[in-house]
Amino acid sequence: MAETTFRTLITAFTDFLTVAIHTILWERSIYPKTSFLSARKYNFPVKQNRHPKVCEWINDAVTAVESELLKGRVHSVGVVIFTKDSKPLERFVFDVSRFPDVPVDDLDTLLQSGDADEPQSILPVVEMEEQFRATLSKLTASRTSLGPAPEGCTFTVAIELKPDALAPVSHPQPWIPAQVADDENDGATARHPTAKTTPLRAIKAGEMKFEAWIEEAGSDAADG
Amino acid sequence: MGSRLEKKSTLVRKRIEGHTFSGETGEEYEGSAFGGFTDYFRRKKIKLQNLDASIRASSDKPQIFKGVVCHVNGYTQPSLNDLHNLIVQHGGGFMQYLDGKTMVTHIIAANLTPKKKEEFKRYRIVKPAWIVDSVNAGRLLPWDAYRVIEEGAGQRVLGFDNGQVVSQIGKKSAGYREQTDTSWYTSQLKASQAVAGPSRRVGSATQTVTPTEEIEDDGFPSLTSSMEQAMQGVLPSQTAADAEPDDAEDEERTTLQTPPPSSPPPAAASLLVHHLVERAASPELNNGLETAAGIVDKSGDRTAVQPQEVIPADGPLEEESAKTVLRPREGSQEPDYTMAVIRDSDAVNAIAPEEYAKMTAEEHNAVLLSDPRIRKSTVVHPDFLDQYYRESRLHHLSTWKAELKSQLQALAAEKSATQKPKVKKLPGQRRYILHVDFDSFFAAVSLKKHPQYIDKPAVVAHGGGSGSEIASCNYPARDFGIKNGMWMKRAQELCPDVKILPYDFPGYEEASRKFYDAIMATGGIVQSVSIDEALVDVSDTCIAEGGTDGVKRSEGCQDREQRKADELAQGLRDEVLAKTGCAVSVGIGGNILLAKIALRKAKPAGQYHLKPEDVLDFIGLLEVQSLPGIAWSIGGKLEDIGIKLVKDIRECSRERLINTLGPKTGEKVWEYSRGIDKTEVGDQVIRKSVSAEVNWGVRFENREQVDEFMQGLSAELMKRLIKERVKGKQLTMKVMRRAADAPLDPPKHLGHGKCDTYNKSMQLGVATNDVAVIAKEAIAMMRSFNISPGDLRGIGVQMQKLEPIKAVIEAHHDGSQRRLHFKPGAPAPMAAPPKPVMPPKPDDEIQDDHKTPEHKQIRDINQPSVRFEPAAPVTPSKKPLNIAGTQFILPTQVDPKVLAELPADIRAKLAKHILPSTEGDADNQAVKAQTSRPVSRADLPAVMLPNMSQLDPSILSELPDDVRAELMNLYKSPRKPRAEQAVLPQSPRKTRVLPPISKQPLRRKRGGGSLFGKSRAKGGDNTLTQSNFVARPQAIEVPAHSRDTTPAAVDSAAELDPAFLAALPEDIRAEVLAQQRQSRLQRTGGIDTSLHRHRTRAAKKKDLEIPAVRVIRLPTHPAVPTFTSRKLSALPDLRQAIKAWVEEFSDEGPYDEDTQALVRYLTDVVLVERDLEKAQQVVRWVEWVLGEVEEELEADVKEGWDGALKEVKGGVQEAVRERGLPPLDLR
Repeated sequence: MAETTFRTLITAFTDFLTVAIHTILWERSIYPKTSFLSARKYNFPVKQNRHPKVCEWINDAVTAVESELLKGRVHSVGVVIFTKDSKPLERFVFDVSRFPDVPVDDLDTLLQSGDADEPQSILPVVEMEEQFRATLSKLTASRTSLGPAPEGCTFTVAIELKPDALAPVSHPQPWIPAQVADDENDGATARHPTAKTTPLRAIKAGEMKFEAWIEEAGSDAADG
Repeated sequence: MGSRLEKKSTLVRKRIEGHTFSGETGEEYEGSAFGGFTDYFRRKKIKLQNLDASIRASSDKPQIFKGVVCHVNGYTQPSLNDLHNLIVQHGGGFMQYLDGKTMVTHIIAANLTPKKKEEFKRYRIVKPAWIVDSVNAGRLLPWDAYRVIEEGAGQRVLGFDNGQVVSQIGKKSAGYREQTDTSWYTSQLKASQAVAGPSRRVGSATQTVTPTEEIEDDGFPSLTSSMEQAMQGVLPSQTAADAEPDDAEDEERTTLQTPPPSSPPPAAASLLVHHLVERAASPELNNGLETAAGIVDKSGDRTAVQPQEVIPADGPLEEESAKTVLRPREGSQEPDYTMAVIRDSDAVNAIAPEEYAKMTAEEHNAVLLSDPRIRKSTVVHPDFLDQYYRESRLHHLSTWKAELKSQLQALAAEKSATQKPKVKKLPGQRRYILHVDFDSFFAAVSLKKHPQYIDKPAVVAHGGGSGSEIASCNYPARDFGIKNGMWMKRAQELCPDVKILPYDFPGYEEASRKFYDAIMATGGIVQSVSIDEALVDVSDTCIAEGGTDGVKRSEGCQDREQRKADELAQGLRDEVLAKTGCAVSVGIGGNILLAKIALRKAKPAGQYHLKPEDVLDFIGLLEVQSLPGIAWSIGGKLEDIGIKLVKDIRECSRERLINTLGPKTGEKVWEYSRGIDKTEVGDQVIRKSVSAEVNWGVRFENREQVDEFMQGLSAELMKRLIKERVKGKQLTMKVMRRAADAPLDPPKHLGHGKCDTYNKSMQLGVATNDVAVIAKEAIAMMRSFNISPGDLRGIGVQMQKLEPIKAVIEAHHDGSQRRLHFKPGAPAPMAAPPKPVMPPKPDDEIQDDHKTPEHKQIRDINQPSVRFEPAAPVTPSKKPLNIAGTQFILPTQVDPKVLAELPADIRAKLAKHILPSTEGDADNQAVKAQTSRPVSRADLPAVMLPNMSQLDPSILSELPDDVRAELMNLYKSPRKPRAEQAVLPQSPRKTRVLPPISKQPLRRKRGGGSLFGKSRAKGGDNTLTQSNFVARPQAIEVPAHSRDTTPAAVDSAAELDPAFLAALPEDIRAEVLAQQRQSRLQRTGGIDTSLHRHRTRAAKKKDLEIPAVRVIRLPTHPAVPTFTSRKLSALPDLRQAIKAWVEEFSDEGPYDEDTQALVRYLTDVVLVERDLEKAQQVVRWVEWVLGEVEEELEADVKEGWDGALKEVKGGVQEAVRERGLPPLDLR
């Protein structure tokens, strides 16, 4: 990966995101265990849902995320687990706000490290995979800290845009605007007292820099 | 015939007719004067006419030649004198001296010199046979059937045939052989010898087997005269072993009654699967089989060749046309169908009779096969072969026999190993051969289970249906006239209360085993003939008993020997009877022939010793056809030369027999007639051939089925070859084709009916048992027969010229010798498809000429758009043949529309060949086609490509998966419009030594198809850019900067291949050169007037100097916040620092600024470094370290530390909250 463009960077991330989503689905038991295949990614044993619809959904979602990422509008990507009654339960957040800011026209232009004196790889594959592996491992381990998910959970993929970014309005419209939620308030006031954040990992491999954590809405989450 | 000729000869004729002989008083009887030669000669002629006149007067023969005046030229048969007599006696005129060509009406000659042929071209030159035949016919035959001078090769002449004028090809004049064979003397001779039967013309006899091929008789026993044919064909050098099987066969025949003329026509066994086919051994085997099966009707021998019909004049005289007339035999084996099946078949009934009559054979078969029940039992059914061989009774028996035989051989080998010091055979030693045979084996064994029928007529058959065939019948049944091989219907007519017994294969097997046990016990040399029949050489035992060396003739000892032999035979019979409950008969003789003949007399349930002194008399009284190996066809030939009984043979010279029957058979027959048979018992017969043949249930609808079946049959043959551990060099194929006059449905359900049989063989060069090779050749041969699939009734493949496989390699079929595979893959004959156009690769410069120019050109020229390659020659060459399953020529380039219309299977075949070109086409078409295509979101990335909509989905769907994937892939990557136009560099970073500025045509004449080809051949040097409209997948892989920078590759194209230039037409070359000059000017002058996007060299150089093509320089990462003056940021370092800090201040509590520093740092970690985890870890570490030291801490110090911890936590949580997150889990 001697020559990295923004697109390759994003592709690498979305690949990981796909794997992560599958892993989350597995860990949170969103779908029956039997619908998962064992697979190997980043030299790490992962689970992959084998239901074609699920796969298609995830792929579609990731493709949509990817296209937004390429536009550089995304602040963070979240995988939200809802309870049976559509209350958010947990949020797996991938904070990609520190991805390099590349103009849309230059998606395929080579990236070069800003540190002129010690040029380093933009996307050190080995390192990146190590990081991904570690993240996946943390994800897998998160089950213990999160406790078993209640029955009938569902999930969705959400993106949080950068403050100045335009909303992804197009046709067909892959994204549905979220209700203005308490995130807006930027305060923990509305937050449930037991809400908490469990950091997963801060990935840092060349320009592949993002942070992942889990937000829990709290045990009897009345609101988001 | 001019009138002059007519006039003159009429004159002569009249004179002759008017000539009277009044006595020797005429002028002509006076003496001649000196010098009066003319007078003398005139008188002589008159005297000759006198003679003629007197002969004529005294003749009472019909005057058929009245009006004919003949002259004989040259040697004839019959001789001049005889002809003269014949002609004159029958009222013709005869001229000894031909004064002029027109003097006579006919000139008789057997042959003419070329000069005379030319001279006499316009006269009536007739063969002597005309006279003879006319005399025989009692009327004047038309002379032109006997012309000596042909009208010229291939000239069609009008003929008269049964009242119809026909046009026929003049037959080629025959050479010496014809003259001798059809000669009058020969026929006279034959006539005098023949007891019965008209003379025939040998030369034009039809025969089953084409002579050139030396078919081994045993290979195709259902062929009529194949045996005889083979015998004729076999070189005299063949071993005497060959004779033995014939014995066996004949033996068999004599034991069983010859059917009276009224019995059902002797017929070809409709199915004979020859499992083991050996030149020598197999007849015996077949024979054995039949014996076992009890088929009286020796189909192998007696299959009907129609008695040598004369081929119509149009057949080549010398060539024996491969015509056999086989008559179906009713009801034979397994799938016990009768005609009723066909009659009852709805599918068949659905067709109106008149329609039915009009159908072609294929259509007929299609109708037939449309009935699933019927289909099931024909070759079209995939499992046919398996089932066929599984169910076939004969096959069962033959395999059984083969096993038995190998067991026996093993046993014999074992035995001979132990008793090696054998008594050496002395020449002239007396021999005692026992031929042991069950009496109606099947019936006898089956009767053991049904003892109540023992003395009632009983038969073994497959079922009670009228169409089933009687495999064996007991003696009471035979008294009714029931024969083995007879149809059940007929048998039931003969004896209404005949009992039908089922087959009892285990019983047979058991009986056979016991039988052989008993035979082994005699201690002689055993040769198994079939499951129920064996030859035993007990000479040693007997001679030992006699007490001499077996050569000397002393009455006493010979008696003792004979008595011993009889005893042995009796013992054997008793033992077998005791063990199996079935009677066996034993024939004893001095050799195999005699033993076999004796056995006939011994039957039933007896034994007979043919003593040397009785041999000649005994044999002499037999009919020739009762000799082993002589049946129908040889018998017929012998009958033609007047031999009916064996003793007649003895009166015939050996030479004559050889002339009649061929060297080998003639010799053999001659010897047999004297009781001589040199075959030894236990002679190891070497397998000469292995074959697989099916002629039951063969019904095809189309050629594909035939090919498929050939594959199957070849596989079967291969299996057998492997089983025998041999490989063969010569492949012979036998094909039975429905005779032209045979009905579409033969009398026997799915049998072959009346057929013509064709054979063909080919040398394979390398011995093989590879199914692919066999199948390939077999299919090729099958094609070369050019028989319509619907008319096929039987197919057999046979491998000859066998070579043993050295190692035992069952699994590894490929044999011992490795061969080079020059053309792997089936469709070898296809010319290499046009250079496969690779799907666009990033490095590929130019895509627009995907379509190979060749292609274009061909279309331009007045040719079909589909190009045909010459098909593989079907000649038996060593070239690999197309076995792709179709005989059709596969075009290398196919119109996709045409392709789409084709049936799936053909399309699949085609796809293999045309893939590369399709790909190219599709690429182009994909771009050009104007149909929009719905694309699923999954396939399509967010950025919609304009070209995408232009994809023709139908084309896309026609593409192979991988190609399609590639194509789709290429659309997945969005490109900027200008990218499409860009000439892409091969590698952006490549430093390039620029070639000297030279001659580069930047432009090429449009439509110069071949130029494209050339330029492509030059490699990636093509600079053609303006039509570069093919979408390419480079976008992703090719670094963005390179697109904008100059295509470095362009310059590589700057070289102009002189050869390329030379190939251009004059005007184009001029243009190219002008262009080149201009561009050079442009470059050197530094003025870029070019409209092209190509950069000048200067620009290129500049680019090269600045290697940093366009990049996005990313902002430097913000410095990672650090802790303390030591700039710590890694977690372990932090931990260490914190531990040190805690330990350092464990006795006094932390300083506030230290705590603040940590809080600040952690806040930075959360907010700037954005590593929640690190912050969490650090906080946890602090807590843990404090926990470690907790006990040692003093209360206030502890308090201070707790406060510090709380502060740190609070700071972190504050920072976390600042990021809008719920508090960190810091428990």
